[in-house]
Amino acid sequence: MIELRKIGRTYRRPSGEAVEALCDVSLNIRRGEFLAIAGSSGSGKTTLMNILGLLDSPDEGSYRLDGQDVAGIGTKQQARMRNRRIGFVFQSFHLLPRTSALENVEVPLLYSGRSSIRGLGRKALEAVQLGDRIHHRPSELSGGQQQRVAIARALVNEPDLLLADEPTGNLDRRSALDVMAIFQALNRAGRTIVVVTHDGEIAAHCNRIARMEGGRIVSDEPVAQPKNALEAVQ
Amino acid sequence: MRAARVIRHSLSMMGRYKLRTAFMMVGSIVGVAALTLVISGGQAAERKTLQTVSRMFGDSAIMIVDGGGHFMGGPRGTGTRLKIDDIDAIATELPGVESWDPQQGLGTGSVRRGDQAVDARVTGESERSEQVWNRRASRGEYFDAAAVKAADRVAVIGETVARKLFPDEDPLGGEIQIGSVPFRVIGVLEAWGTDPHGMDRDDEVIVPITTLMRRVTNVDTIASARLVIRDAKTADRMRPEIRSILRQRHGLAAGEPDDFTIITPDQVQAMVGQIRKVLFLYLPMVAGISLLVGAMVSAILMLVSVHERTGEIGLKRALGAGAGDIGLQFLIETAATTLAGGAIGIALGYAGARAAASHMHLGKVEFLTAVLLGVTASTVVGLLAGLIPAMRAARLHPIDALR
Repeated sequence: MIELRKIGRTYRRPSGEAVEALCDVSLNIRRGEFLAIAGSSGSGKTTLMNILGLLDSPDEGSYRLDGQDVAGIGTKQQARMRNRRIGFVFQSFHLLPRTSALENVEVPLLYSGRSSIRGLGRKALEAVQLGDRIHHRPSELSGGQQQRVAIARALVNEPDLLLADEPTGNLDRRSALDVMAIFQALNRAGRTIVVVTHDGEIAAHCNRIARMEGGRIVSDEPVAQPKNALEAVQ
Repeated sequence: MRAARVIRHSLSMMGRYKLRTAFMMVGSIVGVAALTLVISGGQAAERKTLQTVSRMFGDSAIMIVDGGGHFMGGPRGTGTRLKIDDIDAIATELPGVESWDPQQGLGTGSVRRGDQAVDARVTGESERSEQVWNRRASRGEYFDAAAVKAADRVAVIGETVARKLFPDEDPLGGEIQIGSVPFRVIGVLEAWGTDPHGMDRDDEVIVPITTLMRRVTNVDTIASARLVIRDAKTADRMRPEIRSILRQRHGLAAGEPDDFTIITPDQVQAMVGQIRKVLFLYLPMVAGISLLVGAMVSAILMLVSVHERTGEIGLKRALGAGAGDIGLQFLIETAATTLAGGAIGIALGYAGARAAASHMHLGKVEFLTAVLLGVTASTVVGLLAGLIPAMRAARLHPIDALR
């Protein structure tokens, strides 16, 4: 599904100094995989995630999504692909304040061009067990619930790729396991999921772990026995 | 479909940030209200001023005023040299003069009837004032040449004076006193209403100028005279002729300044032009500046809003919003706030203009003008205030915005 070939990304600090965030990164992600990108902060994992999510473009190398080289497509087309094919989950949830869970979930639908969006938001919230909270505002929800709203939002357009950047970073252990349990269920149902995390415990729930250091992938191995988050919760 | 959803979303977001929305509206409320007030009020003022000016000066009248100096501003000496004979001489020597009327006034004086007293403007004029000023008696009659010649103690009074001194009676034939001099009321002047300065033109008493000069003011000079000329185009040519007659009669040596002032229709036109300039250039300019300031306030608030909502913009970009969707959202927000502010501004400006017009007796204010102006003005504000922030929001890079 995803083919990265020798990706390089260099930022320029305001001082003019160049920072090599990614260097010679090659990565294949097959449909239905549940991959963790692990590494300490500054290892380049968020940059990699931004490139995977079409929020950033590499300076070197090529990125093929379903066989299509994304270097050639314009920003408008990129926005459309983000909307239809990629769901994002962020560390700090990024929910709109003063806005109900349902309206938050419906934001991607605004840009989807679908002829009818009725019921989709509610369905997505029910899928994350928040069917009884659809009119609550973020400030009325716990951190775990907020992240579940964000997951519902990521899923509402039924994308086949889910990208999560430190999705459990702001959550307690219990809520973190809830989130991982949802991800595992989604993955079992066939969704491709990439989770960026610095937490080995969280990475251990995935099927494969790619470790990064200094902008390079230093190891990339399948997980023999992924932990089961649902069991841990129960 | 998509644009409609984005617009609906933007509007509902605005409802959630009422304070921010309200502050952004203030800019356009103030600007639009100021412009509407000034223009529609100015329109009413212009109409009224032109009406008054044309009644006072007409198209074909020359005013001669005692005392030198400049018309419209500048010091004017207090001359006491202008006499009825001077005007008589002008009328005799210049065939272009059709009719003329000298004036001497008491200013505002006390007019009494029995133990009732009112303050009214008391003016002495000739019997020709009826034609020269085009103001007739609506009841009774004007005094005639014989009355002026004999300095009869007769008076024509305005409606206001009539109402105050003769509340329930017919004023014709009644007796009033100006100073200690008794006058018999022979006519009531047609009503003229109130002029733009708030002066009640019916609060007036007109008596033969001879009677006023001899019995009340005790002077032999006049304050001013109005000459009606046969052909308006000759007015400017008559000016030097009138001047030389008066200078000669007053015995002014070369180099000595005039002790009188001649006001011709051209000068009146210039004065009207100046009034128009104030009403339609300077005042709107001031209002335009306040509109501009209002637009800038809205624009700055919008820029601040874009800045503090960087995260929201980044998130929406990540979720698939194109640059155009973001630009549209901010444009809609500004357009909605400035138009709503504009609507309030129109209402306030119109109400203000109405209040001012009724206070200054300007007559009615055109509502349509006010609305058209307000809508135009708030659109201008919206465009000025909305475009730059919308463009800036649209140009934000998603990952910079998400950070």
